[in-house]
Amino acid sequence: MSPVVTIGLRDTKAHFSRFVMSIIAIALGVAFVLGSFCFRGLLNRQVDAMFATNADADVCVRGDIPTSRIADSADSSPGTDSSSDVSASASSASTSASSSSSADSDDESYNNIEVSLVGTINAVDGVSQAVLARSLDGVVLVDSDGVATPTMGGTSTLGMSESQPWRSAHFTQGTYPHGIHEVALSADTAEAAGVSYGDTTKVVYPSSGVTDVTVSGVFDLDSSEAGGLILGIDPDVVDSELQAQGTDTDVISRIRVYGDANGGQPLTEDQQRQLADAINAALSDDSDATAVTGDAYRDKLSSSTKKQLGFIQPLILIFAVIALFVGSFIIANTFSMIVRESMRGYALQRSIGISPAQVSVTVVIQALALGVAGSGIGILLGWGVVELIVAALAAQGTPLDASAAPSASSIVVALAVGVVVSLLGAALPARRAALAPPIQAMNETANPEKPTWPRAVEGVAMIALGAVCWRFAVLVANADNLDLGPSGWPWLNHLGVGWPLGVGAAFAVIGVIVMAPALVSPVAAVLGWIPSHVFPVTGRLAVRNLGRQKRRTANTAAALFVGLAIVSCIGVVTASIKTSVSDIVDNNLRSDYLLSSQSMRLPDAAIDDVRALDDVQDVTARSQAVGITVNHDDSIPAMTFVVSRDFADDVVSPDSWEGDFYGALDSDSMIVVGKSLAQKYDWHVGDAITLTSDGVTMKAAEQMNQSDSTGVSGSDDSESQTPDYATMSSEDLQAQMLARFQQAAAGGDDSASAQLAAFQQLQQTAAAGDSAASAQLDQQVEQYRQAMARSVEEAKRKALDDAKASSRTEKYTIGAIAKGTPWGFGLWINADQAGQLGETDALITSVAFVKFKDGTDLDAARGELESIAKPYYTISVMSRDEYTNTMSSMIDQVMIILYALLALSVVIAVFGIVNTLTLSIFERTREIGILRAVGMSDGQVRGMIAIESTLISLMGTVLGLVVGVAAGYEIQRCYAPVGMSSLTVPWAQLVLFLAVSVVVGVLASFPPARRALRVPVLDAVVVD
Amino acid sequence: MSKDVTETAADSSADENNHDGDVVARAVDLVKIYGDVSDETQVSALDHVTVGFKRGEMTAIMGPSGSGKSTLMHCMAGLDKPTSGKVFVEGLEVSAMNQRQLTDLRRNQIGFIFQSFNLVPTLSAEENIVLPLQIAKKPIDREWLDEVVRVVGLQDRLSHRPSQLSGGQQQRVACARAIVSRPSVIFADEPTGNLDSKSSSQVLQFLQDSARKHGQTIVMVTHDPRAASYADRVLVLADGKITRDMAHPTYEQIFDVFSNGDAAEAEDGEGEDEQ
Repeated sequence: MSPVVTIGLRDTKAHFSRFVMSIIAIALGVAFVLGSFCFRGLLNRQVDAMFATNADADVCVRGDIPTSRIADSADSSPGTDSSSDVSASASSASTSASSSSSADSDDESYNNIEVSLVGTINAVDGVSQAVLARSLDGVVLVDSDGVATPTMGGTSTLGMSESQPWRSAHFTQGTYPHGIHEVALSADTAEAAGVSYGDTTKVVYPSSGVTDVTVSGVFDLDSSEAGGLILGIDPDVVDSELQAQGTDTDVISRIRVYGDANGGQPLTEDQQRQLADAINAALSDDSDATAVTGDAYRDKLSSSTKKQLGFIQPLILIFAVIALFVGSFIIANTFSMIVRESMRGYALQRSIGISPAQVSVTVVIQALALGVAGSGIGILLGWGVVELIVAALAAQGTPLDASAAPSASSIVVALAVGVVVSLLGAALPARRAALAPPIQAMNETANPEKPTWPRAVEGVAMIALGAVCWRFAVLVANADNLDLGPSGWPWLNHLGVGWPLGVGAAFAVIGVIVMAPALVSPVAAVLGWIPSHVFPVTGRLAVRNLGRQKRRTANTAAALFVGLAIVSCIGVVTASIKTSVSDIVDNNLRSDYLLSSQSMRLPDAAIDDVRALDDVQDVTARSQAVGITVNHDDSIPAMTFVVSRDFADDVVSPDSWEGDFYGALDSDSMIVVGKSLAQKYDWHVGDAITLTSDGVTMKAAEQMNQSDSTGVSGSDDSESQTPDYATMSSEDLQAQMLARFQQAAAGGDDSASAQLAAFQQLQQTAAAGDSAASAQLDQQVEQYRQAMARSVEEAKRKALDDAKASSRTEKYTIGAIAKGTPWGFGLWINADQAGQLGETDALITSVAFVKFKDGTDLDAARGELESIAKPYYTISVMSRDEYTNTMSSMIDQVMIILYALLALSVVIAVFGIVNTLTLSIFERTREIGILRAVGMSDGQVRGMIAIESTLISLMGTVLGLVVGVAAGYEIQRCYAPVGMSSLTVPWAQLVLFLAVSVVVGVLASFPPARRALRVPVLDAVVVD
Repeated sequence: MSKDVTETAADSSADENNHDGDVVARAVDLVKIYGDVSDETQVSALDHVTVGFKRGEMTAIMGPSGSGKSTLMHCMAGLDKPTSGKVFVEGLEVSAMNQRQLTDLRRNQIGFIFQSFNLVPTLSAEENIVLPLQIAKKPIDREWLDEVVRVVGLQDRLSHRPSQLSGGQQQRVACARAIVSRPSVIFADEPTGNLDSKSSSQVLQFLQDSARKHGQTIVMVTHDPRAASYADRVLVLADGKITRDMAHPTYEQIFDVFSNGDAAEAEDGEGEDEQ
């Protein structure tokens, strides 16, 4: 081994204790880097596995006309949007969680295709089965304890049957469900609900309500569903439920096709392509449908889900950057100290012929060893933490079965990052080791710093750029027409508010970091005013010490700055969301309690029961008319609510309106339109608006109502089930045929009598063992079976067509445009208008507002409401406060994550401060010795260092708070038009951050102070 | 002879101590051994030294490198703990003090002037001068401060930072700082070691004046006979023992001491001291 390497390694060993902090910082940074990769890999693999199971088609047939993604643009606005629908917000947590696990998430944006294409596709060679695979939202499974089965991942309910199988579901017991009283469960779901094959339990359907069901089968799935519940129900039940919700079941967004080339196994990519080509050839041009391979379809699905989850990695990486920044800085400081101490050793090495380059190599070797050690620990740490998270999720009921193991390339990247950062940190000290004259004055102040004003100029310029970006974002957010402004370039305007906001924030943060050295003196003077006056000597010394190495001080504060900027920005945004949401509760909402249903529909009986309570003053239901199309444009996602004046008077009134609001509510020719819709589609008061109802919905609703009238308990369903001729046994069919012939014969039809006689003859001959007769009988039965199946299909079609024909279109005038929650987000008609549209029976009451008489004991009243709600399983009773809290609980969860991140950045920052002060105190050894020699007590020394430390910490915190609050304010202004109407700065939280930063500063001063006091005064003041 | 002188000095100071306020600081039978006591290689820096310093007297301690002169001063000032023996300043036993008591001692009884880097770089000259008072939270006697500043000739330099002052000016600030709190005794460790002769004489003149006009007790370690010649009394140490104790010696008398025998040793020592 070269002697230089030997020296380097020996030095590493000798300096090891000095390196501990650097190693920890590097390890943390690398852990973040690797952890972010592991986490992304884990999520991606889980998403892939789930889509491979949930969207397991070999070929997917979908529409080929892309439609505009208007529904999507609503998703991109922040959380307040969920408040647009009062009923939806309560369940939005579960729906957002289930969006990743629902079988076919509605993410594609193509036209819908005709369901009848199934026949065409089934006729194609190589197709095993074409499946509609519809799913139904809002189904609740009651568990063995008689309450809704708890779930972390939402409930997915899929239509499945022998003719519409789900290949990834492997029945271990029983089989597919038939009719409304049977349900199949995944093994995990059955376990979660505490039921097993053959057990009886209850399911709450969105429209049919509480229904007794038997578990018809239990199936295993190829991948874990991350805690989601998977229910399989009869596709016919799905269809009728969907129709009742206003969904046109004649069309579907996509058809799932299984091929038979692999004997029931999933097809290879080539086979998928061949099958897709074959299907495309069979599809007529006017079907507006196209077949794509399952892989391509899954890629698209998973990539959009991954995109939604994609924000996680950058967020983690920001903290990786903070950690590594501080890490390299700590390394630079540490090596500066070591190099300074070792100057004599280097001079000696030089004098025996070691070249300057070789001297620096001894330093670089130490950095390398440190980087490798830190990265190694970091890799294990990052991986371990992700595994811990996976274990914690599994314990909470969200098992993930994808592997979290890092890929080789991400390990290499993490290692490289750690080593490079270490080497960068050591580069400057290594250079100094090589070039500096061996004996150098120890006093750092002898070499004054470069002036900091250029940094100030650069920083201010960047902050100004950031301000311009933010201004632009606000203009875009409030612009009426993005084609005209705010800038001359429409493409720029159409980037949305996210980009200019983000770029502006980046400019602001980097600008502050750049100009921070110039800010040290003024900020220290301001922040240090109190300590300077309370502690005239130590305070003043501390304030001035900060200004000695402005860059170092600024860099140290930067770690806290970035962390706190992020956290306080999100703090402001979440607080603003909270207030914006609770504004309606506090200011406008006048009812005491809300009833809402997990399955979207409140049973009328429950509302009637509530109304019948003695102390109830008023129950106002807000109903939604489903299946309404606005201006003949399917793409307008207008939720149409049916309300009376009472709703505005007794429950919640709009913040403001244009036009004649009450007049429009009362009038049968005018409707009220939400401000955000009006803005989007450029509607004005006085404009004509056309509403079209969907007959299918009304028909289905009628049927539902009939079955409803038999009672919600679902004891016995009087609705006659259409027999499934495909699965009916031969004996049953024969009996039916016989019955028909007899009926016809009894009607006096001679030919029927002859047929009856012939058929009975044939049956007897076959029963006697004549194989020819039995074959003939089978043939007849089979013909009958097909004829009947056809006629059932036709009957269904006819019913649908009839229903469609009953759809109605009415013309109205926009009488008022209302602003505020929830008025701003829907169309509002009155009961008469709903009648005009034929919707009266098809209304879904999603939420009911209950007001009790004055002086009622509200707690007792709550008990009454809950006892009414209990038998329905899905109805939740919320007070005004709880209603606000359901919306803020998500926000609170976000805050927990934030506090965790804050804690991490604080830990990293503490390392930075400790290290910087240690270096600074090391440089000032002699000065501190003098101070102690002239009478400074140990306590005063500690105090001085604590004040320095606290000022660094406060500086980072204050700058972070200022930038964070500014960014939060900008975000609020940008999203104010979509509901984040009020700005709330969480002052208490910010003060808490300041207090924490003081504590952090004091804590961080302990190790350096101990170090300072450990040096005897004599050693400190006597120059060697 | 040296033995006699030492004994005499010790005896006289010991006698004076208890009843005579004239002796501000004294060492009794001071021993300082460096290295492990059980070790063969141990070095005896002070070998049973007993000495007293009178109030208002400026004493120079001289001796070659390794003679123990710095060790004696450090032990007297409470910067170093003697292996055995006792140190008293104003009747307080320095050698038995804990850190807190030492801090009090430094605040109330002792002033320091070091060879270089005496000042806190972030403080102005004036702030450096009043630093001991502020640290001890003592009121600033403006009149006295003005006089001290005038005597050291820094009136128009008060707002300057140390980096803007010459070495001589810095050292005069250090002198002013040491005297402004009127300590019982000022310990000066080679105060002119890094100064040119003109600056040196200014500093030494100031120290001499402080002793003569204001009764300030000063103990100064130096290897420069010219510096020592400003003192009222010169002690010469060699091998941890006081070998000479001269009252009001002239420069020539001091120089003579070092030119015979001890001189060569002293020259060697100087080379090392000066690094």
